[in-house]
Amino acid sequence: MRNAEMNLRSTAAMLAAAWFALAPAMAFAHHPIHGKFDPGADLTLSGVVTYVDWRNPHAHVFMNVGQGDETLNWAVELESPIDLEANGWTQATVLPGDAITVAGIVARDGTRQIWGESVVRSDSGSRVFDLSLEAPPTPLAPRPAPRWPDGQPALGGTADAIDGYWSYPSATALVEDGIDVAMNADGLLEDLDDAGRVAPMQPWALALYRHRQERSLRDDPMYLNCKPPGGPRQYMSHHGFQLIEDRERERVFLLLGSGNRNYRIIYLDGREHVGQVGGDDDNPLYYGRSVGSWEGDALVVDTRGFNEDFWFTSGGLPHTSRLRLIERFTRTDLETLVYEVTIEDPGAYTRSWTSSWTLRWVGGDDLPFHLCQHNRP
Amino acid sequence: MRISTWRLVSALLVLGTVGAASAQEGHPLKGSWIGTWESNETHGEFVLVVLDWDGEQISGIINPGTDNIEIGAATLDPAGWTVRIEADGEDRDGNAVHYMIEGTIEDLELPNRYITGTWQHGSGGGDFEIRRQ
Repeated sequence: MRNAEMNLRSTAAMLAAAWFALAPAMAFAHHPIHGKFDPGADLTLSGVVTYVDWRNPHAHVFMNVGQGDETLNWAVELESPIDLEANGWTQATVLPGDAITVAGIVARDGTRQIWGESVVRSDSGSRVFDLSLEAPPTPLAPRPAPRWPDGQPALGGTADAIDGYWSYPSATALVEDGIDVAMNADGLLEDLDDAGRVAPMQPWALALYRHRQERSLRDDPMYLNCKPPGGPRQYMSHHGFQLIEDRERERVFLLLGSGNRNYRIIYLDGREHVGQVGGDDDNPLYYGRSVGSWEGDALVVDTRGFNEDFWFTSGGLPHTSRLRLIERFTRTDLETLVYEVTIEDPGAYTRSWTSSWTLRWVGGDDLPFHLCQHNRP
Repeated sequence: MRISTWRLVSALLVLGTVGAASAQEGHPLKGSWIGTWESNETHGEFVLVVLDWDGEQISGIINPGTDNIEIGAATLDPAGWTVRIEADGEDRDGNAVHYMIEGTIEDLELPNRYITGTWQHGSGGGDFEIRRQ
């Protein structure tokens, strides 16, 4: 009992020490990985797990590592628990007392944090916490898009079809169609000289975009402050989104898997872009105000009334409150949704421009539940 | 004495609102700014500035605590994030006062970014610093 108490005390003391060591990094909670961790600073650590912190936005495994004459506690940062769980890993995959070896890249700010690119159990030599975000294989022959009795394509499930959601976006950052630039999944350019090619930005917008890129996107308010992924960004997350058509009341509900149970409504009843009188009628919004109509098999949505409190795409392209989006949703077959967006923002761009990508249908599964939690390392 | 009081009030206002600025991820100048133009005996040391961007030009007002002074011309050079503001107002006697403000945006990535530089009118001038609220 006495030993148990001492162990508890020493563990608590180590956790407290780790907490204070990490405290300076708290303001930079959950950045795009290369904003927080230096891709050029590789490190391999072997030690014993002291604590597993299984919370959004990223799971952490704390481990004691012998370095010289002292034992130091390191925080190993991993992907989001919902992504890890989708790949079969749980909070009990490693437990306090387990010996592990971690290879990864260390935090830019010098704190004892490492992004775990590889985690290997010392007892079995098996790798754990590996992740695959690959889309499931497509059928050899495309199956037709489901349709409502009147022949209109169904954007989600229908009464007699399996429900599901859209995920596995083929693009995760806005780039003008026809432009080929190399960037990572967070929208971080491989070559900053490509910045001016991404979209037709005004000089101030280009300079701000470059500034955000130079800082490795560490100022992204979606990660720093849990700001909603408004605009096209809501279709860039592998946590997906669901389209629910309320045909009787002529509206489409768009539920997000990537943002705190956020949703938006697309009205198809011919109303104007107005909010609720006396409510949000003159208040710019993260998701704007949307009205839509069908053009053939495409749902065309016109959205205006955005605020400027968020990044409307990964990668940090700026927008202003003059932003207007014309979006086209076309379900070309059962598994495929083509999303095309035309961006009109005379406050930030020199002309309107278009970007498009596809999404994959995830049938028979629920939209992942994701809550952003900030103020933690 | 009056200047010291204004300095204290403005410092408290600025300090009290640091970290409470609303997010602004669009044009970096857009928003409300509070700060000081030091040694300004014509309009006092405390100043509030409201700036807007319509896609082509920067507009806004300077409010030194009395009447608004309309901004006549303002530019932003994103190469160094330098700001230049010109505005025409009046002193207490109704004489024309032409202000020229030049500064640089610092902490660009933060909601409570600030502009630091100098102000000038006639033979007067001094340091200028405003922080976004």
